[in-house]
Amino acid sequence: MSRTATLLARLAMLVVFLGAWELFPRAGIVNPMLLPPLSQVVSTLGDILARGDFREAIAVTAAEVVVAFLIAVPLGAALGVLLAENAYLGAVFRPMLFYVFSIPKSIFLPMFILAFGIGFGQKVAYATFSTVFIVIMSASAAVESVKAEYLLVAQSYGATRAQILRRVYVPSMMPILLEAVRISMIFNFTGVMIAEMYASRTGVGHMIANWGENFMLPQLFAGVIVLALAAMAFNELVRSLEVRCSRWRS
Amino acid sequence: MQPMAKLKPQPETTRANAVEVTGVSHIYHGRDGAVPALTDIDMTVPAGRFTVIVGPSGCGKTSLLMMLAGLRTPTSGTILCDGRPIPSPDPQRVGVVFQEASLYPWLTALDNVEFPLALKGAPRSERRERAQAMLKLVGLGSFGGRYPHELSGGMKQRVSIARGLVQGPPVLLMDEPFAALDEQTRMTMGHELLRIWDETNKTVVFITHSLTEAVYLADEVLVMSARPGRIIDRVAVDLPRPRTYQMMATDKFGQLRERIWQQIRAKE
Amino acid sequence: MTRPSPRTVRRLIGLAVLVLWEAVPRLGILPELFVPPLTKTLAVLWSDRLIYFGGLMVTLYEVFFAMLIACGAGIALGAVVGGVAVVRNLMLPVVSSLYAIPIVILYPIFTAWFGIGSESKIAFAGVYGFFPVMLSTAAGIRTIDEQYLLAARSMGASLPQLITRVIIPAAIPTVLAGLRLGGALTIIGVVVSEMLTSASGIGYLVTINRTILDSPRVFAAIIVVLLLSIAFDLAVRAIERRTMAWQTAGRRVASSEDVRAARMPAPAAA
Repeated sequence: MSRTATLLARLAMLVVFLGAWELFPRAGIVNPMLLPPLSQVVSTLGDILARGDFREAIAVTAAEVVVAFLIAVPLGAALGVLLAENAYLGAVFRPMLFYVFSIPKSIFLPMFILAFGIGFGQKVAYATFSTVFIVIMSASAAVESVKAEYLLVAQSYGATRAQILRRVYVPSMMPILLEAVRISMIFNFTGVMIAEMYASRTGVGHMIANWGENFMLPQLFAGVIVLALAAMAFNELVRSLEVRCSRWRS
Repeated sequence: MQPMAKLKPQPETTRANAVEVTGVSHIYHGRDGAVPALTDIDMTVPAGRFTVIVGPSGCGKTSLLMMLAGLRTPTSGTILCDGRPIPSPDPQRVGVVFQEASLYPWLTALDNVEFPLALKGAPRSERRERAQAMLKLVGLGSFGGRYPHELSGGMKQRVSIARGLVQGPPVLLMDEPFAALDEQTRMTMGHELLRIWDETNKTVVFITHSLTEAVYLADEVLVMSARPGRIIDRVAVDLPRPRTYQMMATDKFGQLRERIWQQIRAKE
Repeated sequence: MTRPSPRTVRRLIGLAVLVLWEAVPRLGILPELFVPPLTKTLAVLWSDRLIYFGGLMVTLYEVFFAMLIACGAGIALGAVVGGVAVVRNLMLPVVSSLYAIPIVILYPIFTAWFGIGSESKIAFAGVYGFFPVMLSTAAGIRTIDEQYLLAARSMGASLPQLITRVIIPAAIPTVLAGLRLGGALTIIGVVVSEMLTSASGIGYLVTINRTILDSPRVFAAIIVVLLLSIAFDLAVRAIERRTMAWQTAGRRVASSEDVRAARMPAPAAA
């Protein structure tokens, strides 16, 4: 299948999806109370985007996401490199990681609320907590993906530590690191959303939870669309970088 | 003896050639359009003979082997295996041993050898018995319970050979079966293969990159050119059998090897 | 100086956590509202055992059906996406793009549609666990060694035989890795959704006791969830040991691509 054909087929899928969203509720095939037609959701989206409180909520959520991300990624990367480089620490802690990973982090939300209240700090702290483990895992996997042979070759040509870092580690880890950044963002965004939906006075997560409870479905769908598009946009951005940095991989 | 012959038909002695390839070409349709992979291949392998095909990478040796196995259809020309065309794989006529271990890691050695019989739905006891006999033939009688990862590279290829032979095909095709092995293991395996060949009277078509291996094993070496693949020389190896490692040091061996090398190099 | 074995250190860390859990509030380093002493927590867990048991049963009921949805739909669709090239080229980029969406934002829609009972939890957690199962099934089928298929065809395998005897066993390790992630995510999804909006289940017990500031009961519920995660982890390991006699550490190293493929669908855990 050629590129254009694939593109057209995807476009057709999108059109069918959006068309069904519009027509099914209009035709009464699904209850328009439960699934408002697309056009209604879009016009509601226009309305809420014009509202000051919604824009403020977006700003708060974005700030939480960015700050938590900027804490969790460097912190997790440092710990991950430590576990990969130090065989003993790695042997002690890495078997615990998968288990920690599979625990629902949300059960610790009450502790974060007690410690930080329900404001900005608590959202950032909880999102950092729920992201840091995946960063640790990805970072140590990234370090290990650098083959011993590459290092040996560089050393045999007399490369310094700094040169090895810059010319061997960074380029060969780059694709995995970017993948880690992308996946960390998914975790991070999820963490902020859960914290906002659980207990908050502001933020987009808080607003959609409220709309859901009050059965305001056009607003709810509009809010979900905004969040979903933001998440997908970041994901695609990093993925395009990933593709660019991993041409050399088979 | 007449009634006996009716009950159990003897192999037709008139059919002298186990493999007959006439005017075979193969055109590969890739992204850049039609690429001729093989042109005008003629080859005959008399029953019971050991033929080796050598040639540079990408000369279509593997394509040719796939067609002999019925895994691919030639664009033109005819292929007869054991006297009949082979439009689809038929493990009772043609067994195949692949590059590296294509053994299934989730099956034991014995289960791997049984695999083709299981596909045919043969009864379990019969399967066991025949697979065990084949493992014994390749010298792994007591290793049936091992998983592939518990076997060395050479042992894995022995199991592959046993699997290729288990349906009793008169023809065995081998696609660089020892390429992934170290030099010593490779020599041992070549020697073992000749022993198995001698014991079973199979017709073997063997592909390799190694000229030494080719001369050591073959009755006849077919030399192929780079793409599009053609047969550019047929070298009869008239070294006596059984072959021994000492023969490799003889002038005769060196001359044969040199002749093949010159042919390949001239065409590059 | 010889260092204690990693396992010993892990046990010591576990022990230290338990001791600190008891000592820190008792010594007044942190208020009991923050961390109620371990013994106190265990005492309410015991005295309220019927409540917690009831909550756990609701949670398990939801987890069971959510896993059924996640694994069933995930394996079926993953097989189609992994096995049919046209579908794969069409769908895989779309799926991995959708995967970036924090699924939890859909939960308000599910409660609006299915109410605040078990149905919304099952639907939500089913979706939550679906993606890793689907992606790893697709990866498991796509990364099967070409030689395995070629060899089977040379031995005269028919298409059904190819599927049952080669494709399925070859894909099992990767699929299992996906089931492990998907299962863990399903549990997470159920607990999260119970905490957000519900009237029963173990997540609900966390939330209801938090709002009345009854910390020992919050922590008792947390213990139950931790035990549930441990139990799931042990169960999966036992299954892996049984089904993967042939898959040793050696094989994993030999085919690091498989591992990467299995790692690919990292989950958005909460």
